[in-house]
Amino acid sequence: MTASDQTTGPERLPVADARRTWAWLRAELRGRWRAGALAVLVGAVGAAASVVPVYALGRLVDLVTEQAPGSAIVPVAAVILVGALVGGLAAGPGTYLISRLCEQMLADLRESTVARALSLPVTTLERVGKGDLLSRVSTDTAAIGKAASNVMPTMISAFLLVVVSVAAMAGLDWRLGLAGAVAIPLYVMALRWYLPRAAPKYAEERRAVADNSQLLVESMQGVRTVHAYRLEQRRLHGIGNASHEVRDISVSVFTLFTRFVGRVNRSEFFGLAAILVTGFLLVRQGHVTVGESAAAAVLFHRLFNPIGMLLFTFDEVQAAAASLARLVGVIDLAPAEEPRDGTGEPADASLELADVHFRYDGAPEVLHGVSISLPAGSRVALVGSTGAGKSTIAAIAAGILTPGSGSVRVGGAALPPGSLREHVAIITQEVHVFAGPLIEDLRLARPDASPQEAAAALAAVGALDWAKDLPDGLGTVVGEGGHELTTAQVQQLALARLILADPPIAILDEATAEAGSLGARKLEESAVAATRGRTTLIVAHRLTQAASADRVVVLEHGRIVEEGGHRELVAAGGRYAELWRAWEARTPTSSSR
Amino acid sequence: MTRPVTGRRVLWRAVTRNRRRLGAGTGLISLHQVCESLVPILIGVIVDQAIGPGDGGALLLWVAAMAALFTALTMCYRFGARQLMIAIADEAHTLRVEVASKILHPRGIRTDRRAGDLLTVAVNDTDNTSYLLDYVPRVAGAVTATAVSAVALLVIDVQLGLAVLIGTPVVLVALQAATPLITRRVAEQQELAGEATSLAANVVSGVRPLRGIGAEGAAARRYDEVSRRSLRAALRAARTQGGYLSASMSSGALLACGVAILAGWFALNGRITVGELITVIGLAQFLMEPIGLLAVVPGWVAEARASADRVAGVLDAEPLLPEGTEEVAGPSGLELRTLRYGPLDGVDLRVRPGEFVGVVPHRAADGEALVKILSGQVAPEEYEGGVLVGGAHLSRLAPADARRVMLVEPHLTDLFTGTVEENVTAGGPLDEAALEASAAGQVVSAHPDGLAHLVAERGASLSGGQRQRLALARALMARPPILVMHDPTTAVDAVTEHEIARGLRALRGTGELTTVVVTSSPALLAMTDRVVVLDGGRVTAEGTHADLAVTDDDYNRAVLR
Repeated sequence: MTASDQTTGPERLPVADARRTWAWLRAELRGRWRAGALAVLVGAVGAAASVVPVYALGRLVDLVTEQAPGSAIVPVAAVILVGALVGGLAAGPGTYLISRLCEQMLADLRESTVARALSLPVTTLERVGKGDLLSRVSTDTAAIGKAASNVMPTMISAFLLVVVSVAAMAGLDWRLGLAGAVAIPLYVMALRWYLPRAAPKYAEERRAVADNSQLLVESMQGVRTVHAYRLEQRRLHGIGNASHEVRDISVSVFTLFTRFVGRVNRSEFFGLAAILVTGFLLVRQGHVTVGESAAAAVLFHRLFNPIGMLLFTFDEVQAAAASLARLVGVIDLAPAEEPRDGTGEPADASLELADVHFRYDGAPEVLHGVSISLPAGSRVALVGSTGAGKSTIAAIAAGILTPGSGSVRVGGAALPPGSLREHVAIITQEVHVFAGPLIEDLRLARPDASPQEAAAALAAVGALDWAKDLPDGLGTVVGEGGHELTTAQVQQLALARLILADPPIAILDEATAEAGSLGARKLEESAVAATRGRTTLIVAHRLTQAASADRVVVLEHGRIVEEGGHRELVAAGGRYAELWRAWEARTPTSSSR
Repeated sequence: MTRPVTGRRVLWRAVTRNRRRLGAGTGLISLHQVCESLVPILIGVIVDQAIGPGDGGALLLWVAAMAALFTALTMCYRFGARQLMIAIADEAHTLRVEVASKILHPRGIRTDRRAGDLLTVAVNDTDNTSYLLDYVPRVAGAVTATAVSAVALLVIDVQLGLAVLIGTPVVLVALQAATPLITRRVAEQQELAGEATSLAANVVSGVRPLRGIGAEGAAARRYDEVSRRSLRAALRAARTQGGYLSASMSSGALLACGVAILAGWFALNGRITVGELITVIGLAQFLMEPIGLLAVVPGWVAEARASADRVAGVLDAEPLLPEGTEEVAGPSGLELRTLRYGPLDGVDLRVRPGEFVGVVPHRAADGEALVKILSGQVAPEEYEGGVLVGGAHLSRLAPADARRVMLVEPHLTDLFTGTVEENVTAGGPLDEAALEASAAGQVVSAHPDGLAHLVAERGASLSGGQRQRLALARALMARPPILVMHDPTTAVDAVTEHEIARGLRALRGTGELTTVVVTSSPALLAMTDRVVVLDGGRVTAEGTHADLAVTDDDYNRAVLR
């Protein structure tokens, strides 16, 4: 069974269809059928016990009508009190068991979603972008979480109470049950009137709220720019309009809701009237007692709140179901494929790309037979203009992309991408701070790293000084919501992670590009330190990196045009010499290097 | 400034400026509650008058009365709740705009809160404050419903009435003892759920770097740990809530049933009728609701009050900069007189009108402090010495006037959602020359939509270099008499940087336009008239870029690529 992606555009992750979502839910419940059965059993017992007192009160009414003696109350009172007590006491365990079931399923669901999201093939990630995936692991998981802890337990309890109460009415007399059931189609009609009208309005409201907060976020985070360009009035005008739109839509959504409530009230009236009229007729014909028809009416009146709760939270459950379909869509995605054609164990840390061709999906070929050989422990720089295919080669060498043809060998063994990645690590220009204590960020690379090892890694890349100066040292919470690090610091952190991951082969893809000139030089030193002793392929943006490499490979339009030592290539006067002259011209005095 | 704005005043204002709708809504909602409490009474009456005696005429009459009651009930709710919703939405809107205009005020705002906190105030706290207008009618309705039920019960039987009216609050107050624990558990659960959510978002957005070093398994395991902790907290909260539910349901049911049994006893003894018995049963059940509401409302009001306090904290914050009394009169020069602030330890610097000056800070903090003062993020009393813009003291200029003369483009560029054109023309009309000079023309032509290309939130859809170039184009199009830039080309490649340097020179290097660029980029510095070097918080060297490059080794090291 696979997820269908017919409903979404090519740029989105698939969403599971209703059948597949149900199948997932059924399979999950089947795996937990004991817990599920217990929850329903306890809930049903509680609901039944809570109906007993009303039943008994009907009997009490009859005793009064029959003008029974005062002592007749004793057995009735005993039944009432026991029923009330059992019903009341069972309510807690009942909802707890349902909560537990929901929460455990939710925890498994979010864990497998995140695990799957992290193991998606990079090509898939690039195609769909991170936005969709992010909103699924965060917004959708949170939406289901809220439903699981706030809505589902009360909703299921309410549902059980409704079922038991209607059954109890029918137990008094089937015609009373039928009269109570008159309200059901009316409730359903109210819901069917409301939901299709509400859904687009809620979507519109969410959009308006999001627009308004986006304007606020941008204006507040960009307040310096707002001030610098004196955009205050313009921004406020936009915020005012967006905020007013939120106001209008909220009012219109609510107006619709009040009309829904009106329809629910109408259903309540018809249900109650039907029971009273039926009771009247049945009492007159002697089928039921006055007490029984009174009990039916009270039973129904007691249901006003639980039924309202079922109806008014129905859209939240619908939203949670939509989120669930989106998460199941992610879970059903195929993980990165692992061809098992690789053989052998690497003999050493040499890396060899042989006659590698590559094209991105449906695009023209970008690499036309590239062969690069890195002896163990050597340092090779890849140079070329933008779009020459440098980053593609780096990704192929790191096992992130699979070459169309040709091979990648480590220590003479052709490894499948999965095991290739065990030997090769890559740092790209996409840097990221993992929110949390700094040391935990480092430990992602080596979970069992001691504080000393982490500090040593930081020291090696020249980051220990600033790291120690952080408010809580290595324990400082960094990243989103914590201490903000500069771009250069983030890149040093990435290099320190590389040291801890300790791969025999390292690939640096413009890991030093985005720092100012002061920072770039320091980062180059950090990068050299982090790759010491490793076979290293550097995609060199700054030619000083090429100058210090053992060998330089010049790539143009997906082909290698030159290869050799730095001095040798400069002397040769080819493409590299040209690039080098342009690079040198940028420094104020060439002598001071 | 009149009275200080306090949370209490914010709430009071919310009530008074919406008094008409609030009054009408509260009246109608109270009527709605009266109708709700009449439903069980009416059920009793129907059993008593129609079903018991088998009187078809009475049945018809009373069912018609019930129809009327439900019509009144639903109408009161519909129109009352709408009035209230309009009042709530109006108040939230007004507060949002008030908070936003305070935060964006040209004079700035003195606050310890970070941008994220301010956003929470502007979005959530304004909403929470406006909910007060929901609580007022609920309290009024609950009080009314309780009163009506109480009167009905007391009319039926004084002892029964007293039993319900005393017993219900006692039970509910006793149950209140558990609420702090529940609140804590739920807060714990929500906090951990939030932690799990943000960790998921965080690791997934770093998925490529993670896979680069083969750490995706470690990240997934870390997420599993947090997810399990979140699960445990959720289960703890569910257990607490379950316990509370058991306690409240059983005590509530026991109370209602106790009253019913007592009423049954009275009915058996002929003290009350069958119909009255049913009414008492219904009312005892119904009363749990309004009284329960009265018990929780103080908590809600406290929350609204806490939000109102935060809103008041923003609305009442002092402006950062003075109002300004002078106007810029002289030609557009810039002068710093023994400026001391943070790491700056007496900077003397004079930029003549029309000059193009580079400032090279050996320590990044020096450059940052300087730009911070010039852009009006520092209150005048926080720094010593003088900053003269066009001959007038910056501290005596109206902030907007100072910024009209001197534009400081921040290093961390902020773009706004909208088209490229809307972004670059923020300060002045579209100017092809400025677009070319900043090499932003390439950014424009890189997208098929050109100037109409939509910039996503905070420019996230663009690379760092593209953002910088658009920001530079924006600054150039504003054509300010004085332009201050801070590391404007750190994210662009060397070739483009050269183009930009030449473009800047062509556009700003002539006439009366004054330009200051804080940078260590040799490409930019080569285009300046003069370079000033800052070290240890002071000016340590001055000269042309070419001279300094030959004579000053320190300088060479600082600007070397």
